[in-house]
Amino acid sequence: MRIYILRRLLGIIPTVLMITLVVFVMMRSIPGDPVVALLGDAYTEEDAIKTREAYGLNKPIAIQYLIWLGRLAQGDWGTSILSGRPVLQDVLFRLPVTLELIVLSMVVALVIAIPAAIIGAKRQNTWADYSATSVAMIGVSIPEFFLGVLLLLTFSVGLKGALPSSGWVYLPGTCTSVVCAAGLVGNLQHVLMPAIALGVGRAAILTRLLRSNLLEVIRTEYVTTARAKGLGERSVVLKHSLKNALIPTITVMGLQVGFLIGGAIVVETLFAMPGLGTYGIDAIIARDYQQVQGFALVTAFAFVVINLLVDLTYSLLDPRIRYGS
Amino acid sequence: MSSVHEIPVGAVGELVLERPAVARSESPFAQGVRRLRRSTTALVGLAVVLLLLVVAIFADVLAPQSPITSDQTKTFQRPSWAYPLGTDQLGRDMLSRIIHGTRISLAVGVSSVLLALLAGVPLGLIAGYYGGRIDTGVMRVMDLILAFPIYLLAIILMVIFTPTAGLLGTIKVVGAIAIVRIPIYARLVRGSVLSVKEKEYIEACRAVGVRDPWIIVRHILPNCLAPIIVTTTLGIATSIIVEATLSFLGLGTQPPTPSWGWDLKANVSFIHDYFWLSLFPGLAIFVTVLGFNLFGDGLRDALDPRLK
Amino acid sequence: MRSRRFQASLFMVLTTVLCTAVASLPADAQTPKRGGTLRVSYGNEIANLDFHTAPGYEMMWVAMNVGCGLVNITPDGKFVGDAADSWQVSSDGLLYTFKLRPNVLFHDGTKVDAAAVKFSIDRLMDPATKSGMRSFYSPVHSVEAMDPLTVQIRLKHPYAFMLHMLAAYRTGLILYSPTATQKYSLEDRKAGKPEAVVGCGPFRLVEWVKGSHLVMDRFDKYFVPGVPYLDRVHIRTIKDPVTEMAAFKAGEVDFVASFSPEHVDTLKAQVPRAQIMTGKETTPMMATMKVTIPKDGKPMAKERVPHPIFGDIRVRKAVGCYGIDRNEIVKIAFKGQATPWVGMIPPGTLDSVDINQMCPHDQAKAKALLAEAGYGPQKPLTFELMTNTEKSVFNIIATVIKEQMARIGVTANIRLVDKVTWMNTTLQDAPWDMYVEDLLSLITLDSNAYLTTTPSTWNTSRHTDPKVDEYYARYAKELDAAKRKAIAKELAEYMADKVYWNVVSGSPFFMVAQPWMKGYVYNAEFEVHYHKVWLDK
Repeated sequence: MRIYILRRLLGIIPTVLMITLVVFVMMRSIPGDPVVALLGDAYTEEDAIKTREAYGLNKPIAIQYLIWLGRLAQGDWGTSILSGRPVLQDVLFRLPVTLELIVLSMVVALVIAIPAAIIGAKRQNTWADYSATSVAMIGVSIPEFFLGVLLLLTFSVGLKGALPSSGWVYLPGTCTSVVCAAGLVGNLQHVLMPAIALGVGRAAILTRLLRSNLLEVIRTEYVTTARAKGLGERSVVLKHSLKNALIPTITVMGLQVGFLIGGAIVVETLFAMPGLGTYGIDAIIARDYQQVQGFALVTAFAFVVINLLVDLTYSLLDPRIRYGS
Repeated sequence: MSSVHEIPVGAVGELVLERPAVARSESPFAQGVRRLRRSTTALVGLAVVLLLLVVAIFADVLAPQSPITSDQTKTFQRPSWAYPLGTDQLGRDMLSRIIHGTRISLAVGVSSVLLALLAGVPLGLIAGYYGGRIDTGVMRVMDLILAFPIYLLAIILMVIFTPTAGLLGTIKVVGAIAIVRIPIYARLVRGSVLSVKEKEYIEACRAVGVRDPWIIVRHILPNCLAPIIVTTTLGIATSIIVEATLSFLGLGTQPPTPSWGWDLKANVSFIHDYFWLSLFPGLAIFVTVLGFNLFGDGLRDALDPRLK
Repeated sequence: MRSRRFQASLFMVLTTVLCTAVASLPADAQTPKRGGTLRVSYGNEIANLDFHTAPGYEMMWVAMNVGCGLVNITPDGKFVGDAADSWQVSSDGLLYTFKLRPNVLFHDGTKVDAAAVKFSIDRLMDPATKSGMRSFYSPVHSVEAMDPLTVQIRLKHPYAFMLHMLAAYRTGLILYSPTATQKYSLEDRKAGKPEAVVGCGPFRLVEWVKGSHLVMDRFDKYFVPGVPYLDRVHIRTIKDPVTEMAAFKAGEVDFVASFSPEHVDTLKAQVPRAQIMTGKETTPMMATMKVTIPKDGKPMAKERVPHPIFGDIRVRKAVGCYGIDRNEIVKIAFKGQATPWVGMIPPGTLDSVDINQMCPHDQAKAKALLAEAGYGPQKPLTFELMTNTEKSVFNIIATVIKEQMARIGVTANIRLVDKVTWMNTTLQDAPWDMYVEDLLSLITLDSNAYLTTTPSTWNTSRHTDPKVDEYYARYAKELDAAKRKAIAKELAEYMADKVYWNVVSGSPFFMVAQPWMKGYVYNAEFEVHYHKVWLDK
């Protein structure tokens, strides 16, 4: 087992590198380059050529990638061509924002899904079951940005600024800038609407999954035994079934992170949050190669690591599955 | 670096288990249809999907006006008899745009998923059946695509393709979404194949001399059919949302093609004064996605009762 | 001996009189309150903070508050001194002598003296700097520091707009501290390191985190006593118009530097007390047609041949001059808040002239010209109308033009691209037919010479007419105001006649402020100054 884990850990590196290589090549397939935008009014053909040379943009793609890789190995994530800002610094600044958004979205999804799934499982095929699943189903059928706009209008505009429309207040300790607005309450106010907009969509899938897993667990002999022992109904469902049903559900949810990361791009754009999502999309559209590489690196790494954790947790919890033999 | 655990995971993270090959009195297909008919959710979903299909096919007849002709004197009209859903900034009839938008949304949703299917299923079949290096090679590429968050890849692809209007623009969006969905089918099918491959009757077939492709089509493929159908239906719903989201970022089908996603994005900034302009495209997306989700859910319940 | 009661009544009367007197003071005799943070919202990101080279309005709006120059310009076109106290121009117009104020300091403590001015101008003129301002300094022969407080600029030939250029072309002249510039690298400045981004303006840079915020604080040693009133200016970028309006309505933002014209009416209804500021249009909205293409297909080749469609002036006139209904465009796209216009000098720019009668909307004439050029029902004209997503109004105008083209039997296919692609296409001589865009603001016609003269990369229509260059040169060198105006009129008429630069209308610009933001005087879209702003709360 340990060998398996080690192999998987080592396997992260080639996967992440492959992803960054693909992104590298894809970015350079986009028509247009950042030099035109960089020079702006000063654009002349000869200055453009000189600038491209200065930034090494006319070398063969393979060489450029190797250069990037070499610098990365020394801890240098490069600097943005357009803004001159070190990529690593900006990524670190924005990471807590997106991380918190994603985590809280999952929490929102669970907050909706757990009661809905329990109702659905306990009162299977009744009116209550259908309503609970329906509510969750509605959530997944609305595009995240539309839900975000509706939330924005209700809470920021409609309720006279009950929640702020944009921006960010950092959790104490996570802000690396000089001018920091930090505070727990402010932070929660800023993250609430985005998290709901992002989390509601995932709730439906969670509900469905959790409900069916709950039913599965309830049917097993193990639970029957608990009932036979005379434990109350509530205790049977909540304590034993839920815990066991939740774990495989959450591990599968880990695979949903892809949707969450993508959805974060949209939600962050709408709520003007200084997160990795806006960082990435701005970079892609501006063709800021270095910035995109930084973004791709972080995202790919997070994604691959989460996949690994999901796999490992799954194998740890279900002894029926064996690896590597 | 594929996951070794063979629990096949469907499009929405569902556990998609295969049916045991047990002999029954009626064919599994008939059983499935019977269960389907009894499920209200599936029927409601099916009704919605069929209604949308009708609207999409007969859009030209149903829409009172052209969706792209603008009448400059009639911009921002409130809903009235002449314009049941009002007009937008360029004087285009909103109702006609929504009706014609059904075509685009269904076209994008269905074709992107079908394309993914056509590419992904054979890949999964080949990888699963032949195993070895072919398997590793194919699944490595699949994992690479899967390693990208869905939107990130779709966004980069659309920026490379350069969003345009009209048929070409729609094709580009379809392509981008399809590419992102291929691995889901490949993995699904491969899982199914692996679980059936070692069964004795397959060995028997081989021993007797039945050719590989025949084995694949006749014995292995039917096993994956149920999860494929379910994944496809749910995948259509996801594709429609992805298209709308790409439009929000400015990377979807470009105007004047009547796309719900574009109309939603373009009109959402007028939500204070003319809320119906963004409400109706939003509702259209919602109803469509809901319909496909309900139908897909019902299908899954009907074809894989163990999940219920 | 006055009784107590009498004293009390007297006291009451006096108090009442005093209160009434105070209350009846005119409202604008309010004294500015010192302190507070101004919260500003930009609709686009700041590119980078190297003021001499960075593109974009957002950067400019920061540069003119963090940096200072020699002179500034008022809304009615008068020049006031910035770091310079006074100046003299020689009678032949070739020598500009500036006397600097003695107490101007850079944010790093070094003095703003003649050497610093010379350093800054030399730097801007140096090709190695690659500054967008370089072309504006082409009339400059040399700069000399006569004594620590006197600097003299010698021109090669008279230049009527020297002061305009120093005050307001793009950022105007921004003085760089020689010490800071030599100590820190270009990347340091671009990235916004506070020690590197050093100016002599009323605010000093505290921090810039791209995508999050830019914060500048009052510079205590600013040479104008008492200002700025604000302690701090906090700038953020909010791209989505819904979010921006929500933030403004909720009072989270005090000032929006560039407000989308389409939503102004909505804002007026939502926030009745908001101050909506605008002025005369200084930006032209254009529907430019490509005039030549490279002879052998190699982009930017010197040898040109006429564009297959718009190389023929009759087609240009038919489509761009008579075929477009400018009134309709203004009504639809701008809800009437812009001026239909034909001249290349926008209504609000110096020496503007109304030549709308040269291009009336005339469908019959358009069709006739097209027929002459060989187009008609047998051979219908089809072209591609490109525009970008930077402003939603571009696409609306393009759609309206498409409709108008249909009325004269022409098919225009709209191609919507993002700004970067648009820049790459137009600047690198890639294939395109017509585009709708509003380019840059003109404070004077001369400020955009680089957009139209033949050798310039920014001459996107790629016309090869040296007469245009001649006009520009004459205009810039003519020191007599009346004669200049006549040259301007001639140039505008010539350009309209040749349809090298096809203007459709002016482009309105709006800035929006909360009622408690006082002291801001709207100048033009390229002038945003916070030093006199104060918050009444």
